[in-house]
Order: sequence, then C-alpha cells, then structure tokens
Amino acid sequence: MISNLISMNGYGIFVWSSFAITFIVCAAFYFKTRKTLKKYEKEFAKEIEELSIKQKKIVLEKSKVASKVFSSYNKTL
Amino acid sequence: MFNFFSNSNVFVWIEKLINFIHSIFFALLLAALSFALILSPPDYLQGDSVRIMYVHVPAAWIGLASFTCLALLSILNFIFKIKNLTLIIKSIAPIGLIFTCIAIVTGSIWGQPTWGTFWAWDARITSMVILALFYFIIITIQKLISEEDKANKISSIVAAIGLINIPIIKYSVEWWNTLHQPASIKITGESTIHTSMLMPLLLMFFVFILYCALIFLMKYKTEIIRIKRKSLKRL
Repeated sequence: MISNLISMNGYGIFVWSSFAITFIVCAAFYFKTRKTLKKYEKEFAKEIEELSIKQKKIVLEKSKVASKVFSSYNKTL
Repeated sequence: MFNFFSNSNVFVWIEKLINFIHSIFFALLLAALSFALILSPPDYLQGDSVRIMYVHVPAAWIGLASFTCLALLSILNFIFKIKNLTLIIKSIAPIGLIFTCIAIVTGSIWGQPTWGTFWAWDARITSMVILALFYFIIITIQKLISEEDKANKISSIVAAIGLINIPIIKYSVEWWNTLHQPASIKITGESTIHTSMLMPLLLMFFVFILYCALIFLMKYKTEIIRIKRKSLKRL
C-alpha cells in the first residue's frame, strides 16, 4: 500500500514533487514573514525602552499597538 | 465606525485572528492532504497525475483573485488615497506572486505526464507568466521608490493595466486553441468535475485561503509596526 502511495502508478515523481515544491515554498515564505515580524516587534520594543520615562509613559498610554508590542516583548524576556 | 478600523483596533483583532488560524490550520491541512493524496479517486484518463490539481488549481485561483483584489484596491487608493489600502496592497502582492509562481511550476510539472512537455508557450501559460511579471513589477516599484505617494501612483497605474490580463487568463482557453483544458468548475453553469474530486479541491482551497490570511495578517501587522516606528522616531 505504501509503495503504491509513493509510486502512484508511475506518476509519483510528478505528484510528490508538485506537493513538495508547494509546501517548501509556503513554509519558507511563512518563516520569512514571521521572522521579519518578530524583528520589527523587537526593534520597536527596544526603541520604546530607550525613551525617557515620561515619553515612554505617554507612548504606552496613547498607543495600543506600542503597549501590546512592548508587553509581549517583556513577556518573552 | 471609522475608529473601529483604526490601526490600533485592527492590530488587536489581527493578533486574535492569527492565534485562531494557528489553532485550526494543521488539522485542516492534514485532512486536506489525506483527501488529496490518498482518499480521492484517480482520474479515468489522467490516472494519479490528476492529484497535482489539488495544489495547482487553488494556487492559480488565489493568484488571479489576489491580483483582481490588488488592482481594484490600487484604483480606489489612486482616487481616494486611503492609507490602510496601501498597507493592504503591500501585504497582498507577495502572496499573489508566490501562488502565481506555484501555479506555473506545478502546471509545468503536470504538463509532462499529460501533454508530454514541461513547457509550451500556449495562451493560458503565457498569460499566467505575464501575471507573475505584473506582480514582480508592482513589488519592485514599492521596494525601489522610497517616496510613498509616487510609488503608490506608479504601482496603481501598473495594477490597472495588469487588470486587463485577468479576463485574458480566464477566457484564453476559449478564445485560442490551447493545450490547457477548459475550466471544469463553473460558478454559473454546470461543473464537469465529480463531487469526489470537487470536495478535496475545495478543502485544499480553504486551507490555502487560511494560509494566505495568516501571511496577510502577519504582513499587515509588520506594516502597522513600521508606521508606528516612524511616528515614534518623530518624538
């Protein structure tokens, strides 16, 4: 049964290579996108941390995005 | 109402949606792969090579739908200059390019056992290559031109021109003599595909859509953070 699944009556090379290419490309694209997002989050959180206490307080109070990114960054530390 | 669509509110929703998609994605992918590779029947004429359809067709649909979406949003953005639309366009373009390339490559692999060749300059394949080129040009414009307004204007014009290619792709198999078979699934009219193949195809399409949504949301989130970083630097 497994050899049938692999060979697919002689079409296995075409079918498996199509699926493999699709999923390798999709996985690579997913990890690249995720890595870029994490990089931006990290850099943004660091920039907030470098602000003066007063500025940091204003930014975190005013911006939901900043406070979310900053709190999730602190959790990971 | 408009406050609901502010970047801050959207950002919170994006996080929730990403978590939700992550929680269901792998179970659905496993089910779709089981149907596509094991449970669905082979074709009476093409045999098991028909299974390539389960990645080729959804990828082509997404490539076409993404460009239609991108072009219409670009035209709207050109007229009304809505900042969120720019973010959406920037997030859609790479997804469309990836899936158009997947459709071309898997179609080429499918071509060998069915037509006896990996490549033919037939109308459907050539128009799909042109679509990939349009995606590539739009992404390059957004990357190379640093002035955002100028980049948006030029890419909107390119996208509007590229929109002409969409009906050409759709009807190429009817207008010209092509190696590519005509559509088996029709929104209006009777489809010629059996339910035992249609169901796995739709399931795989749904999984691809979830994947696109996941990538789109992550890219959109990145763009929001990029904007917020710019405004932080102005402090």
